[in-house]
Amino acid sequence: MTPGWRNPAKDLVAIASAATTGFFASNTARSQLSYAAQAAIAALRAAGVSAAEVDGIIGSTSPTASEMQQALGIPVVTYFANPPIPFVNQLSAAVAAVHSGLCNVVLAYHASYRLPWNTSASLKDPFRRGGMTGGAGAAVPESVSGSVGYTAWASRYLHEYGGTREDLGLIAINGRSNAANNPAAALREPLTMPGYLDARMIRYPLCILDMDIAVDGADAFVITTAERARDMRLKPVLINAATLGMTSTSSEMQTPSLREHGQQVVVESLKARGDFWIDDCDIYFPYDGFSIIALNWIENAGFCGPGEAGEFLRQHWDSRTNRVLIDGRVPLNPHGGSLSEGASQGSGHIREAVHQLQGSAGDRQVAGAARAIVTAGGFFFNAQGALLRADG
Amino acid sequence: MACEISDEDLIERFPAYAIDHDTKARYRGWLDRVMLVDRCRNCGTWHEPPGPICPLCWSTDTVPTAVGGSGTIHMAIFLHQGPPAEGVDYTTPYPVVVVELDEQAGLRISSTVVGAGNADIVIGRRVRLDWIERGGAPMPVFRLDDADGVRS
Repeated sequence: MTPGWRNPAKDLVAIASAATTGFFASNTARSQLSYAAQAAIAALRAAGVSAAEVDGIIGSTSPTASEMQQALGIPVVTYFANPPIPFVNQLSAAVAAVHSGLCNVVLAYHASYRLPWNTSASLKDPFRRGGMTGGAGAAVPESVSGSVGYTAWASRYLHEYGGTREDLGLIAINGRSNAANNPAAALREPLTMPGYLDARMIRYPLCILDMDIAVDGADAFVITTAERARDMRLKPVLINAATLGMTSTSSEMQTPSLREHGQQVVVESLKARGDFWIDDCDIYFPYDGFSIIALNWIENAGFCGPGEAGEFLRQHWDSRTNRVLIDGRVPLNPHGGSLSEGASQGSGHIREAVHQLQGSAGDRQVAGAARAIVTAGGFFFNAQGALLRADG
Repeated sequence: MACEISDEDLIERFPAYAIDHDTKARYRGWLDRVMLVDRCRNCGTWHEPPGPICPLCWSTDTVPTAVGGSGTIHMAIFLHQGPPAEGVDYTTPYPVVVVELDEQAGLRISSTVVGAGNADIVIGRRVRLDWIERGGAPMPVFRLDDADGVRS
């Protein structure tokens, strides 16, 4: 692959604000739309933006952009889209739309909702039974499509590198320790390695704590030109680079190896098109929809070699806070990630990056945080990433 | 060879599978207990999943072709829970394997392994294709190649 790397939008599109409803690992008596609308209003108010100023709406598939426009009474939009998750898809669409002039001020959102395909408990709520599509993948036990594919590749990872379940458990424990300081997180009670190893096995080698927690809740963002964001209420977070990555053999079974999939494309693109990488970042957000994804991201990003993520995490473990601090400084998923804050398909990772770079992350604030790397998505058809930096 | 059965009847025989015009030949093959994988007649490469064209040479002359059925376990997982299916009891974790077929490096299909204990179902083991019945229709499965365990 020899693309002519271009990034004419670099630092010219910004996230002006981010907001969350917080996440709940139970069937709340609310609709998905109600969460999306709540987060959207919070993000718009934080930026000081009225409904009339919004002329672009970009979200995940439920609610749709038109449902959000109606719910919020946004008078007129010139651009709207509902690309698939994870959320760098929405972020990338916003960068393209704003920089090209399709619209000026984007409301971007993602609402997580506990659905029958990701939690059998949600079947008990009759108002949720329509939501059987999404991540179901396997209709028969013998299929490894969809989420089961990550378990399959976890088995391959442990086989190839002689890894152990403890390597995976470090990701879960790191997230839980971080979530303790995040009031928006669904799971905040401490997690120990014996507790992880005793957790209910779902698909060996992955247990329930290796799989993100299904939640109700939403995140929303205001995204506009950096110039216009500077006139809004909060310090802009500049999108230095955003990318998606996919290869021709992206299906779960035909993915050639853990070293040849979308993540490598993302890493190459971000390094070529952005201005900083792992040596210069203050916070790193490896997607953790499944623990194995985070281990693979850490390796593919270059923090360590293939199969060495477990050892890397042990070397950089901060025993005082029971979490990872790379070189004693850089946290991983300080909001708790998808495993503990909740399964927000990347919107939580990006929202936390924005809050950290705006200096509003409360007890979790990384002092002087100026640069964040988000690498979202998994192996097959949804790897993606973004470099975000504080303005000025 | 191809099973003479209407499209409607084919879908009825395999209610748990999403069958379309690209995959219908595969399931007709199952009814004959033949595992068919797409092979390009122009360039000779095998392709999974079934598709309308050869991704390498763009030929539309891709033909569902019987494979030998021998291969190597590439990934192995054990389901402690999963979708309901006849004959599947998750009280013993249900093995699911991805097998790399001998026909071509990286050519993989998935199923379960029968006639073996879970401890013996490990990555790297050689397997061969066999057939069982589920819901009155044939279903491909694997057996360990050198298994000396119970035959079921």
